[in-house]
Amino acid sequence: MYMRVIKFSLIVVVLIASFIACSKNLPVDEDGLLITFRKECIVTNFELLGTDYQTVRAAVAVIDTVAQTVNVQVAFGTDLKNVYPQFTLATDCKLDPKITGRTDLSDFNNPKVFTVISGDRNIRKQYKLFIKF
Amino acid sequence: MRKFQLLSLSFILLISSFLSCTKDDYKIPDPVSEISNDCIKRTLGPNIIGLPIEFAYAMAVPKIKGKLLSAQVEASIPGATGTFLENRSFYTNNSGVDVPITIGAPGVTNGNISKVVFNIDTIAATLRYYYIVPEAARGKSVSFTFSVTNVNGTTATYKLGPYTISKMDIKNGLAVSNGANAYISIEDMAVYTQTTATSAAAKIDLVYLYRAAPTTFTHALVSPGADPLYLPGVTLPVGVTKSSKIIKVFNLQDRNLANLQYGIYIDDMDFQQVNLDNAPNYAIGLKAEAGIWVETQDKKYRAYIFINSINTNGSAVISMLRYAL
Repeated sequence: MYMRVIKFSLIVVVLIASFIACSKNLPVDEDGLLITFRKECIVTNFELLGTDYQTVRAAVAVIDTVAQTVNVQVAFGTDLKNVYPQFTLATDCKLDPKITGRTDLSDFNNPKVFTVISGDRNIRKQYKLFIKF
Repeated sequence: MRKFQLLSLSFILLISSFLSCTKDDYKIPDPVSEISNDCIKRTLGPNIIGLPIEFAYAMAVPKIKGKLLSAQVEASIPGATGTFLENRSFYTNNSGVDVPITIGAPGVTNGNISKVVFNIDTIAATLRYYYIVPEAARGKSVSFTFSVTNVNGTTATYKLGPYTISKMDIKNGLAVSNGANAYISIEDMAVYTQTTATSAAAKIDLVYLYRAAPTTFTHALVSPGADPLYLPGVTLPVGVTKSSKIIKVFNLQDRNLANLQYGIYIDDMDFQQVNLDNAPNYAIGLKAEAGIWVETQDKKYRAYIFINSINTNGSAVISMLRYAL
């Protein structure tokens, strides 16, 4: 009787384990990125590179996670029509729109807006990028 | 009966396994019985007008077939002045140094044929051939036929190519200085002074200047047509007004421009594909080993200008690759 119970329990455990193993993986978003449980939704660092991939910042970028702004001062003569902005985000976040190449940030009257999306893809925060010489 | 079948099968298997494991006797390859040759192209990268393409041509003949008499190279387009076939054979010693041994009179180049006649007894040699790319070959293909003859009159030939000749031009080591040799013409691939620039005003594409302040300015290559903000204190010669498109780059050290230091080559295709849309007409804050892509205002030329060295007294040495569009 005792052995039968052990055998039965073992079968049940194996069955459950195999079900878990076969269960669908964690969900991914439209970019194929893993959707996690993280709710952090902030920019942690910002860099701006010129066409020569060298920094054009004149000072460290000021990131205000409450006002959701990034303020960056660039060096004299920076060609803002051809720069590569680089955002560092909290773990599992992603940026929208994606930065795929040279970006035009020369329109001071209409600062670019980048949306940070949290790891669980439920929180979206819009960061305004202000640039000045 | 069944036992007999089993026994036969085992026997067959045993024999076949033995056969399959038979060692093949090593056969010594046939020695080269005739005059033979081989050749490699030693130069890498694009084939640029005025620069050499180097080949190493190896040849040998069995001792019983006599000795080498002469070697020659025929190019499909005659090389420019300086094209020659070495009269020295090189071998590499234990220290990795190429050691030359003279094997004949200095080579003679006549038209598209470069020839060396051996004047010492030798059965094997490796000669270098330097083909200076001529203007006539621009944008075309060049092929080479290497051949060697022994004293018995037997000949071996080796064909190499075709090699496409670049449309690029190169100019190395142009000295520029603030307020003096400051006016650069891409069309002429030359540098002009304030005085001489007037006579070539329509060809001046860039102005070199140096400003210690602001600290991000330093060495700059600016179009004459740029905002005066980027030409502080510069009085342009009369007629110097062109505006070129300029893109700043760093770490693009073309081997031909950087005194053979790096393994990077800029080729015709790079000029065809570089994106100069929305490019500004100035580049400031240039450092040594930085460079700029330039497109002239009339879209006749694209160029890559490499900064070989800079001096804080306001001078620099630049080199240029130019591509006619």
